[in-house]
Amino acid sequence: MNFSWRRARSVALKEYKHILRDPFTLAVTLILPLVFVGMFGFVIDLDYKHMRVYVRDNDQTSVSRRFLQEMASSGYFDLTPVHSPAEADQALEKNGSPALLIIKRGFGRNVRSGNPETPGQIQLLADGTDNVQASIMGTYLQGVIQKANAVFARDNPELSGGAERAPNGGDQIRSRFLFNPELNSRWFIVPALSTIIIGFLAIVLTALTVAKEWENGSMELLLSTPVRPAEIVLGKLVPYFLLTFFDVLVVFVLAVYVFRIPFLGSFLFYMAACWVYITGALALGLVISVVTRQQQAAIQFAFAVGLLPSFIFSGFIFPIENMPAFFQYFTALFPQRWFLLISRTVFLSDAAPMTLATAFGAIGLFAAAMILLAVHKFKTDVEP
Amino acid sequence: MPAVRAQVHQVSKKMGRAQALWQVEDVFGAGQVHGIIGPNGAGKTTLIRVLAGLLHPDEGTVSYDEGGTVLSAADVKRVTGYFPQEPSLYPDLTCREHLEFFRDLYDLPQADFERRAEELLHATGMAPFTDRPAGKLSGGMYKKLGLMCVLLNRPKLLLLDEPTIGVDPVSRQELWDLVYGFAGEQMTVIVSTSYMDEAGRCSQVHVLSSGQMLAAGTPEDVMKHFGVTDFAEIFLNHERK
Repeated sequence: MNFSWRRARSVALKEYKHILRDPFTLAVTLILPLVFVGMFGFVIDLDYKHMRVYVRDNDQTSVSRRFLQEMASSGYFDLTPVHSPAEADQALEKNGSPALLIIKRGFGRNVRSGNPETPGQIQLLADGTDNVQASIMGTYLQGVIQKANAVFARDNPELSGGAERAPNGGDQIRSRFLFNPELNSRWFIVPALSTIIIGFLAIVLTALTVAKEWENGSMELLLSTPVRPAEIVLGKLVPYFLLTFFDVLVVFVLAVYVFRIPFLGSFLFYMAACWVYITGALALGLVISVVTRQQQAAIQFAFAVGLLPSFIFSGFIFPIENMPAFFQYFTALFPQRWFLLISRTVFLSDAAPMTLATAFGAIGLFAAAMILLAVHKFKTDVEP
Repeated sequence: MPAVRAQVHQVSKKMGRAQALWQVEDVFGAGQVHGIIGPNGAGKTTLIRVLAGLLHPDEGTVSYDEGGTVLSAADVKRVTGYFPQEPSLYPDLTCREHLEFFRDLYDLPQADFERRAEELLHATGMAPFTDRPAGKLSGGMYKKLGLMCVLLNRPKLLLLDEPTIGVDPVSRQELWDLVYGFAGEQMTVIVSTSYMDEAGRCSQVHVLSSGQMLAAGTPEDVMKHFGVTDFAEIFLNHERK
């Protein structure tokens, strides 16, 4: 018996009818992307703004006041003045006050002198329990200082002798961030959302299908007919492929038209990558389903190999470059890592597709391996 | 083409720790209605599944021939129809959708399908319910739909695992009438049942108990062999021993 397109098509058609008549699956598939985009696009914002900082200005000069003005106008800090050491201590002990900034006495005098030996001194006491915010605060403050120096030098050329004499003025590093000039975290997160949605949803969808057929007994009837594993696998892939691809398009449209994230790469290349990645994820779900034959076990496996790697091993949250060497290699096993790379790159840069050949090859290899595994592991009998 | 004959030779099969079948030796002659009777746990389902090729014997062999020509495993699948005991249809698909699904699985030409579907719907009295989902059918109608699906392919060997279980007496009668209506020179039917009163309806009875084939033959011969007037007595006596 050879592969029959007609049988594969009939399985696909049957599956399509199941989807249309199962409001739960349909709702999950259509709502989940919106929930993810809403949650990650709007709620989670890695850009820290309006961080509350208490300020004790021991200098009280026009220079220190000008510095604080610069700091406040940056938009990153909300400044609250404190007027005594006791008040400063109280502020630090209060919950929810991430930092205290102390401007040392003589700040204005030292800045005016322009002598690198005796610079103006500022102390920042930051709450290290939120290490991310504390370090970001430090970085932002550096930026504010740099800017304040430049402004001071511009406004007082007679004192500083031009920008060259400002502290570090001689050899400044001028950073320009390519592809995401404002380092907007939304630009970083939203293009990656398709990776998570496909990596989770597609796996769960197909993980349930074959297991469901085993549980409700229909697989036994199906296996007694001439239908072959490859036909069932293909028939099950196609309708879920279309469903997941629809989700990808929804995320794409929201990213470009709602979040205004630029899409600079090749659309066709991105679509091709989506198709390959979706196929691999769906086939992985089928492998889980074929092996477990139980919906509950299948869903647990799907969570373990779908959701967790999507978040942890893809680079979505934790940069892969910061992982120990072993885990850097380990993440290469997960297609989520490669698709995420493709997705972020084609959204924010017009890199030539050839530069992503390795990533594309990896997701292609994964998809092919999963399809073969699903067909190979598909049992044609009811042996336990 | 004639019906298929199946021969079971010294078949043993363990399911988990239980010895479901033990050295079963039997022949299911072509074109007859065979009843495998036995109490629950006798090994009926295991034997039917082995005959359907869905379980593989630990020991022994099963062979099939069609008018003296030995059939390959692929051929057997092509000419066998099997309807399991457990519910196995799709609750959300209608009767017509089930028939169309099986039409494609069996690769039937549309003209043949239409003729056969009409014939089956008429014979089963299911014509008014073609648009009803399988999940909303009564027990008897559900079994009839299952039977229709496997009969679409005009199998030469029809395997039915307890088709009348959980079905009211009127529907049971209808199902048996259907089976007899289709059985004949073109089709061998093997039905398992735990209803002893149904044994008398079969042309050949195969008595299975605790995984062993105790006897086989016409209902009269089998009862004479055990010296009983009722099939239930066979198992009661066997249990006592």
